[in-house]
Amino acid sequence: MANVADVAPVPGQTQAEPPTRTSIRGLFAQTEIDSRLFGMLIAFVLILVTFHILSGGTLIQPDNMITMSVQAAGIAIIATGMVLVIVSRNIDLSVGSLVGLISMSYALWMTDWFPRIFGLGPDVPFQWLLALALGIGMGAAVGALQGFIIAYIGVPSFIVTLGGLLSIRGLVWYQSEGAAVVGLDPTFDLIGGGALGSVGGLITWILGIVGCVAIIAILYNSRRQRRRYNFPVRPMWAEVLLGAVGCGVVLALAWFANNAFWPKGLADQYAIDHHVDPNGLQIPIGFPYPIVLLVIVTLVMTFIATRRRFGRYVYAYGGNPDAAELAGINTRWTILKTYVLMGILCAFAAAIAAARLNGSTLDIGTSYELYVIAAAVVGGTSFAGGIGTIPGAVLGAFVLAALNYGLSFIGVNSPGQNVAAGVVLILAVGFDTLNRRRGS
Amino acid sequence: MNRRLGLLVGAVAVIAAACSSSGSGGSAAPGGSAAAAGSGGAGCTVGVSWNNFQQPRWAAHDKPNIQKTVEGAGGKYIDADANLSNTQQATDIDTMISKGAKVLIVLAQDTKAVLPSIAKAKQAGIPVIAYDRLIEDPSALYITFDNVAVGKAEADAVLKAVPKGNYVLIKGDPGDPNAKTFLPSGWDQAGLKDKVTSGDIKIIGPADGTYTDAWKTEKAQTNMEAIIDSAKSSNQKIDAILAENDSTALGVVGALTSKSYGYPPLSGQDGDVANLNNVALGKQYVDVWKNANELGKTAGAAALALCAGGKMDALTLPSGLIDPSVAPAAGLTSKPFTTPGNNTVSSFILQPTPLLAADLQKAIDGGQITKAELCKGVDASKAPAACK
Repeated sequence: MANVADVAPVPGQTQAEPPTRTSIRGLFAQTEIDSRLFGMLIAFVLILVTFHILSGGTLIQPDNMITMSVQAAGIAIIATGMVLVIVSRNIDLSVGSLVGLISMSYALWMTDWFPRIFGLGPDVPFQWLLALALGIGMGAAVGALQGFIIAYIGVPSFIVTLGGLLSIRGLVWYQSEGAAVVGLDPTFDLIGGGALGSVGGLITWILGIVGCVAIIAILYNSRRQRRRYNFPVRPMWAEVLLGAVGCGVVLALAWFANNAFWPKGLADQYAIDHHVDPNGLQIPIGFPYPIVLLVIVTLVMTFIATRRRFGRYVYAYGGNPDAAELAGINTRWTILKTYVLMGILCAFAAAIAAARLNGSTLDIGTSYELYVIAAAVVGGTSFAGGIGTIPGAVLGAFVLAALNYGLSFIGVNSPGQNVAAGVVLILAVGFDTLNRRRGS
Repeated sequence: MNRRLGLLVGAVAVIAAACSSSGSGGSAAPGGSAAAAGSGGAGCTVGVSWNNFQQPRWAAHDKPNIQKTVEGAGGKYIDADANLSNTQQATDIDTMISKGAKVLIVLAQDTKAVLPSIAKAKQAGIPVIAYDRLIEDPSALYITFDNVAVGKAEADAVLKAVPKGNYVLIKGDPGDPNAKTFLPSGWDQAGLKDKVTSGDIKIIGPADGTYTDAWKTEKAQTNMEAIIDSAKSSNQKIDAILAENDSTALGVVGALTSKSYGYPPLSGQDGDVANLNNVALGKQYVDVWKNANELGKTAGAAALALCAGGKMDALTLPSGLIDPSVAPAAGLTSKPFTTPGNNTVSSFILQPTPLLAADLQKAIDGGQITKAELCKGVDASKAPAACK
């Protein structure tokens, strides 16, 4: 990948240095790791380490990192869809309001509607599943409506979704006349995370091993396919390194998550219920459900974006709308589908938000749109269209969450958190712009 | 097909025209009859500018009581919701002035940003009532609950339950004087500051408390989660939490639940349904209730009195209108009040009602909550008296 421009020495530098730099760069290029993504990963780790030091060495602990990840999950899930929307040169400002609408719907369905309709009292079996299904349908329907107006009627997406932001939030008010609604189905609450809303020690290890095997299988398969079609392959050392590091990170995360344990009160209760000795009883928490959901969404969305025709159409349209249209792509249908996808993702994020609070309020999801867009942009999505990756956006969401959480953790108040988030947004895009200019 | 469509459009247009003309004819009649009825408020248009309907209470209690009081006396009620925007509020106030409002009731988004609009109203000779939130202008009548007393009632209850230990302070929006000045000074009046100085109480997190943008539940929850983690990491136990209002208290309960932390004594105010339910469930210790029904009635009555030409510094509310336990401690005539900006305004300052689990019957009696809502999910063996 390293071309001549990269190798040329920069004026003013000593002659001795470039060769080593070049070779490290060259080696790095051979691993085919996205340097942007890698840089952001470094930035993310740096932020955590900085706060770790500022907090006197208490921040980076399993419990704390689990809290931070769960706080990031909702924004990250929507950001995966926002990438596709921004790549296709549109925007969606309505996501926060849509999260509010669906979240309040979940709360009302489970506390009021279902018990009345089914006449079974408050504990309707499988109502969490029914609510989730209806919420997904609702998100898809609202997304389809907005997508239709944008793609087929041709109203700019900024206007349509700005209208959505205002009017949908208004609808949330009518749902409960502004009142908070609490008391959801306990099974539904699991998707909000916490000690009970996590998969537990054993399944965390199983997921870690499955992830590890999957990474190796993907590397192996990709190498075989490339061979088959006579594409250049990565050098063997790079394959082994990627496999080992990927596998190691996944297993380390599983180990790390399993080093968070149930709070004492909950563990004691468990001991009483299961007639075991409460002394020294440590039940590992493991991966929380919202993070499992986030991983699944990220994988599926990456697959859709990079391996499905729809995803390729989105990038093609973003790169050059006219060329995509002339190439015979049904661009309108493609755009509409990005918004349907967005609505579905909002339903997932709404489930996490409602479950975390065990209910819903009028303000749930407020200003999500800004954080989601910021996450996508920090993650390398370009407003010019055609450029952006889904893992990048997820990482962007984690960078923002790490800032907010870290600042709260060391006792910085919310105005300070807002300043930091804004500065990081500008810095991230600034660096990116400089980088691209230098690259071209 | 096209012709048919054309016919249809034509027909709709004709019907619409017919309706609108009959509509305008119809509306003239009730206007006349209202003037004929002529009780105290006739011809008095009261314009209300709400800064938001995001918090549940405004639409549920304040608005209907103002409206009932004004319309009950034959006046006219108009309002607008500024959706948390200063500029929208300025537009709303302009609109209501041009619609012929005789008195304005303003729930200000910002105590200072609203001043240009107040100046416009003054030029038009329209008296302004600052509703629940102070406006820094000596010509505005201030009607509110004694927010210092609210803070004092919150801290009194929690300090009585936990006289010594580690406290977390959750405050509201950093731009709101209630969050920054009044409620905390009530906490200090109840003895918080002295106990911090003497070392009986230690504050976890920022010493000044943790602010919550726009009083958002979600934000309070994420902040509280970080504070719990931070306390755990430094081996400190949280013994009590002072939250300034109910939307933030709800976020705190969310954080305590998701962290399975148990429920240390927690304060709040507003008497929101979800929070009163939490008091009954033992998840929130005290909810200081500002009986907004009475506040609405007071504002409505004061607006009518101003319409009738009453002077701001000598307004008297009709006796028997307001619940005596809530009515201003200083009596039913407006009293001077010195603002943090050193303005002297006329005011009616009402009294709050602290609700612990044992007092919940008062909320049911006040129409704040139904028994079913209050007692939802409450275990019969641990139920407070109001749920038995």
